[in-house]
Amino acid sequence: MRLLLILSLVSSLSFAQQSDSDDWGDDSWDTDWAEQETGLQFTGFIEGALGGRLQSSALHSRQTLSGARVRIESQYSWQDVRLTAKGDVGFDGVQQKWQTGWRELSAQTSLGQHLDLKLGRQVLTWGTGDYVFLNDLFPKDWQAFFAGQDDEYLKAPADAVRLTAFHDWANLDIAWMPEFTPDNYINGEVFSFFSPWAGMTIAPGFHAETPNDDEWALRLYKTLNGTEWALYGYQGYEKSPKSLTVAGLPYFAPLTAWGGSVRLPVGDGLFNFEFSRHRSTDDNDGHNPRISNSKDLVLIGYEWELVTRLTAGVQFYLEHTNDHAALLAASPFPQWEPSRNRSVLTNRLTWRDSAELWTLSLFSFYSLSDKDFYLRPSASYRLNDQWRFSAGANLFGGDTQYDFFAQFKDNNNVWLRIRYAY
Amino acid sequence: MQRIRLLAPLLFAMALPASAQDIDAREIVKQAELAAYYAGDDGRSAARMLIKDAQGRTQTRQFIILRKDREDGGAQDMMVFFSRPSDVRNTVFRVVKQVERDDDRWLYLPGLDLVKRISAGDKRTSFVGSHFFYEDVSGRRTDEDSFTLLSDEGERYVLEGKPTDPASVEFSRYVVEIDKQTKLPMLINFYQNGDQPYRRVEALKVETIQGHPTVTHSRVSDLQSGGSTEMQFRFVSYDLGLPDDIFSERSLRNPPTDWLTLRD
Repeated sequence: MRLLLILSLVSSLSFAQQSDSDDWGDDSWDTDWAEQETGLQFTGFIEGALGGRLQSSALHSRQTLSGARVRIESQYSWQDVRLTAKGDVGFDGVQQKWQTGWRELSAQTSLGQHLDLKLGRQVLTWGTGDYVFLNDLFPKDWQAFFAGQDDEYLKAPADAVRLTAFHDWANLDIAWMPEFTPDNYINGEVFSFFSPWAGMTIAPGFHAETPNDDEWALRLYKTLNGTEWALYGYQGYEKSPKSLTVAGLPYFAPLTAWGGSVRLPVGDGLFNFEFSRHRSTDDNDGHNPRISNSKDLVLIGYEWELVTRLTAGVQFYLEHTNDHAALLAASPFPQWEPSRNRSVLTNRLTWRDSAELWTLSLFSFYSLSDKDFYLRPSASYRLNDQWRFSAGANLFGGDTQYDFFAQFKDNNNVWLRIRYAY
Repeated sequence: MQRIRLLAPLLFAMALPASAQDIDAREIVKQAELAAYYAGDDGRSAARMLIKDAQGRTQTRQFIILRKDREDGGAQDMMVFFSRPSDVRNTVFRVVKQVERDDDRWLYLPGLDLVKRISAGDKRTSFVGSHFFYEDVSGRRTDEDSFTLLSDEGERYVLEGKPTDPASVEFSRYVVEIDKQTKLPMLINFYQNGDQPYRRVEALKVETIQGHPTVTHSRVSDLQSGGSTEMQFRFVSYDLGLPDDIFSERSLRNPPTDWLTLRD
């Protein structure tokens, strides 16, 4: 009932707006500015989505994406405080449940000349990778990513206090999450994965107990003559429960990380380099096969315009597992453990037509060490300021059942989304 | 073109009529650049676009531009804050216009909290889906073309520009009419080959604001497809004393509200 109300409210709002913008004479300037200056405005979208597996799965139904959602956004300034609310109301047809939640519910203000504060639920992002995250340990929604939801949903919100200090020498970002927020990880609810402990592909739909603890993330950054420098720090937990307790239950192992990045124009393109050292403090010497080892991560990337309106981006990513010999020696299944140096090449091609209505994109991950891959082709058409149609696929492959991308190969899917923005 | 620049004083001393004319033409173009892109030390404006395709279907864009010159005719900071349509609301575009190298460009996507840096790329492609090119908005470097004065009769100078690197652009030449009094380019016709222009940029309305003649209504037409985009400016003001530090990553996430409140 509530949804119906919202829907009718939204549609009446959007019709009102449409008739406004039909005519663009000089007069409508005045009315439009007045409107923007004063009243509370609601914007957002209504979206319908469908997606399905390319082959039937013994573990799941055919559907990977189904449902509709309404997004409502509003902003209000009170004194020097900017209040932002973005909420989603929707029905997930795959899991047959209502999904409502705030994507953002925050208050932002400046404390004097050199300090910004943002409090509340918010999306946080930093780092230089494209779909590859080394120092960005804020929550991600991998289920949304695998199902073909809009890119926006790859970043899940967190309840945080973000304080940013600006100084001539450098700027400092501090994000404190009073409660650890994990990724929406692949847990078997919609997508199956390989479990070395089970020795097979499984889809248990489990939810590991999240640590009742806080998280800290820091960034020290500065742009100098077009070169962006940054140092990062993180204290918290692995974002998905990759480790097991003594009792054999999945849990989030403690994680500390630090790293750095640089991004600058080189030639006609943009070059980026990023590294991060992930320390698994519950398994310092790597002897415990149930707990993730420490890792060193390195990323090198370059993006440039191949020809007019066709952009290419290539990245080389290396994940070096520390104490790999100790891991293999202790592991009950050394044959399934990741290689000491797992390397991945990614490639992004994006093409836009001259009116920027069509966007064609192909993102590919290919592991040089595991020989498995993940392809994300998509096409999007923006009919006008209101309507957008998108379609795409998530294609995984590889020879084995257990390598990082190959384990998802039963989940190959295609998807379609229609969005009306108001 | 660099070489021609170096040679210019020498040629001028020898008083060769053709080169003298080239210098005159260049001087006019330089003045036009200052009038069109560097009025005052800084500036603010609300802008609105109406994009029409060949079938008459329309789209709109609405944004506020803040600009500050580091040097007249040189480096420049610019920020564009989008408010409409709703799918680009709160998106911010930041440019540091450079003289010696490619501009630095960033796009802030609020849904992802992502500061996306944009690689240099072709500047003669659509600005936010309109018929305006990036280069129409931020200005084309005058040393990328050579100029000939075709006429200085009447109220306008008529010049022809030819790219020094024809492979880098889609046009073979353009003819620009510059108002003698305001120094503003009023009409530019671009040609690929032949005598029929395929693209037109025109100033439809000029107002004098704080002593600076300002184009407040302009149009770009794609004469081949039939589509066009009109752009209007309102609440234009100059020399506001915009602080340097608002042209930064800080303003992407936390827009400088005080400077975005519009009044005439």
